[in-house]
Amino acid sequence: MDKASHLSVVIDLSPTQWHLCSQSSNPYPLTLQSFLSQLLAFFNSHIACKDENTLAVFGAFPGKSVLLYSSTTIAAEEHSVNADANTYRPFKVLDSTIMGSIRNQLEALELLEAEAPIGLVGAITKSLCYINRLTIPSSSTTPAEEKQAPLDPRILIFSVSPDQSPSYIPIMNSIFSAQKLKVTIDVCKIYGPDSVFLQQAAHLTGGSYLHLNRPDAVLQYLTMSFLPPPGIRQLLSVPTQDKIDFRAACFCHKKIVDIGFVCSVCLSIFCNPVPVCSTCR
Amino acid sequence: MPPRRIGDDFDADSDSDVSILDDLEDVGRARGKGKGKAIDRRRKDKGKGKAKEQPYAWEASYTRSWDTVQEDEAGSLQGAVQDLIARGRRRRLLAPATAIRRTIIRHLILVLDLSSAMMDRDMRPTRFDLMLQYAREFIVEWFDQNPLGQIGIVGMRSGLGERIGEMTGNPQEVLKAISERHKLEPNGEPSLQNAIEMARSTMSHLPTHSSREITVIFGSLTTCDPGNIHDTLESCLKDRIRISVVALAAEMKICRDLCDKTGGQFGVALNEGHFKDLLFELIPPPAARALARTGSGAPANPAADLMMMGFPTRLPDTSPPALCVCHSQLKSEGFLCPRCRAKVCDVPTDCDICGLMIVSSPHLARSYHHLFPVKAYQAVMALVDTPSPAPGCHGCAQLFEKMASTMTNTTEGMSPLGRYRCPDCHNDFCTDCDVFVHDVVHCCPGCGK
Repeated sequence: MDKASHLSVVIDLSPTQWHLCSQSSNPYPLTLQSFLSQLLAFFNSHIACKDENTLAVFGAFPGKSVLLYSSTTIAAEEHSVNADANTYRPFKVLDSTIMGSIRNQLEALELLEAEAPIGLVGAITKSLCYINRLTIPSSSTTPAEEKQAPLDPRILIFSVSPDQSPSYIPIMNSIFSAQKLKVTIDVCKIYGPDSVFLQQAAHLTGGSYLHLNRPDAVLQYLTMSFLPPPGIRQLLSVPTQDKIDFRAACFCHKKIVDIGFVCSVCLSIFCNPVPVCSTCR
Repeated sequence: MPPRRIGDDFDADSDSDVSILDDLEDVGRARGKGKGKAIDRRRKDKGKGKAKEQPYAWEASYTRSWDTVQEDEAGSLQGAVQDLIARGRRRRLLAPATAIRRTIIRHLILVLDLSSAMMDRDMRPTRFDLMLQYAREFIVEWFDQNPLGQIGIVGMRSGLGERIGEMTGNPQEVLKAISERHKLEPNGEPSLQNAIEMARSTMSHLPTHSSREITVIFGSLTTCDPGNIHDTLESCLKDRIRISVVALAAEMKICRDLCDKTGGQFGVALNEGHFKDLLFELIPPPAARALARTGSGAPANPAADLMMMGFPTRLPDTSPPALCVCHSQLKSEGFLCPRCRAKVCDVPTDCDICGLMIVSSPHLARSYHHLFPVKAYQAVMALVDTPSPAPGCHGCAQLFEKMASTMTNTTEGMSPLGRYRCPDCHNDFCTDCDVFVHDVVHCCPGCGK
């Protein structure tokens, strides 16, 4: 790893889905606590790989998305962390910031809000905005803090929720902008059925989509397939997807369809033949 | 080669300063051009002394960036330059955000001028080389935004129209057609009529729902036609072909007419950068307004017919090999038709078994942002009416300036605080994210829509 790399992580933190995931009726239950502790170990190994490596963590909560941690804006909060003789300080800062902000966000959730659709699109677009700011030396940053843009930016999405068809178009738009920014999107599906949209995201940006067979061993998967940046991954044999579903969501009922009716003018997809295209009229 | 320059004693009244809207003047102008062919890129040669003079008609909409720059108190240009960049980026956002009907399935014939006028060196290295370079970038970007479109290439050389590339939807084939420079060596006079007739005949069989467009890159000031070019214009109108011209030398009446009557765009490139801008303005799918304008018999907006399309499943290259229905070859990778489960090699295509049109949904999805544009963010002028303003940008978490900047003038939709607010979710964004969200992502991080 001779080049610094940037990693943006999007964590799906839907309380309902995590509860289902931790049920002991599952063959391999994984609780949020144990997932987060394994995840923190992965984060620590990412920033330990190279001093210049950067990290940004976004949480997708029901109905909103929040930046939980970013290695560029952390300087101010660093003093609040108690020093610990046995822990490397950056690890300590990282761990306590992420855990603290997740706890705050989850405690602030009202009971009704917990059922709202997950803010995955917001989190992905925010991570793209963040990467955009890192890669393009902007006019607003002073020249002093302008450093070598981290190469190989990538986004890693941890998903537990099923697809939401209304987010089809925004997700596709994010995928195309990721392609433009040359960002690789990796998807780690921990629980639930395969996500059609995220499969397409990984396929189109050259990342890998991994549906975990043993969610309780998530750290093993993470270090073996997602720790090396995309440049190095070409030399390793990273698991590939077997089938990619190119289905789309129709515009009228937001259903996922494999045969649709497409308007010849604006290319809107409908699940039933309609006399007049509702998009372009 | 026609005489290029008569000199600086050129009479300013006859050609340069007329309004193109004035019919009488226009006629006189066209006549003057026929005789003298003199209005070349005189602006380039006339030097700084004449900069105050009124510009050519085609320059009227082009602001000279160097005229508007002013130094700040410290004598530095940096603030002014940044301001200018930001303003230029924001101007694009002022376009109407309503849903316009756009043609997505496009067919374009790119007409390249290969006459000897293209060897002129007023654009570096030569007009010809620059045109080839921009044409390549244009094709790549065009296919990126119009993945279901097709491009063909026609050249104008030695008074003939020359078919350089057949109409195809594969960007690599189009690029290959213009990759060999020595085959395209400019020579002789161009013929606008021959080239347009050739392009028109290529597109005559196309279905009605697709757009037919001709984009001409024209470097010469003459055209050497076998017949009346106005007849060609009429037949283009009848076929609903939209013609756009990017001229490299000067405005020609016939080029302007071709564009205005068919609903295309006309522009004269002032320098290399402007040439690229003019060409790239033609990339986004045109609003379907030309249909209404031509409207001879046909209804203004014919009802769109729906096409049945299938979205396939892609097989990886590790799957067990099977025969494909298109080439009967044993292959591992491929796409499965959703209706009959036949295996085809590549999409988009028609299934050879059941005839279903198979497209990959990402191809379609590439054009959706034209249908659902992000609402333009409003510049935040003051924070008095906001109870608790967010400390950082909602997109990239960059902290905002606490104090309003003093240099920025607030007339052009620029926020003195550097904050731009989404009208739907009321989150604040920084300038960079504002531009990025509208130009690239096409999806607001706050609303997720």
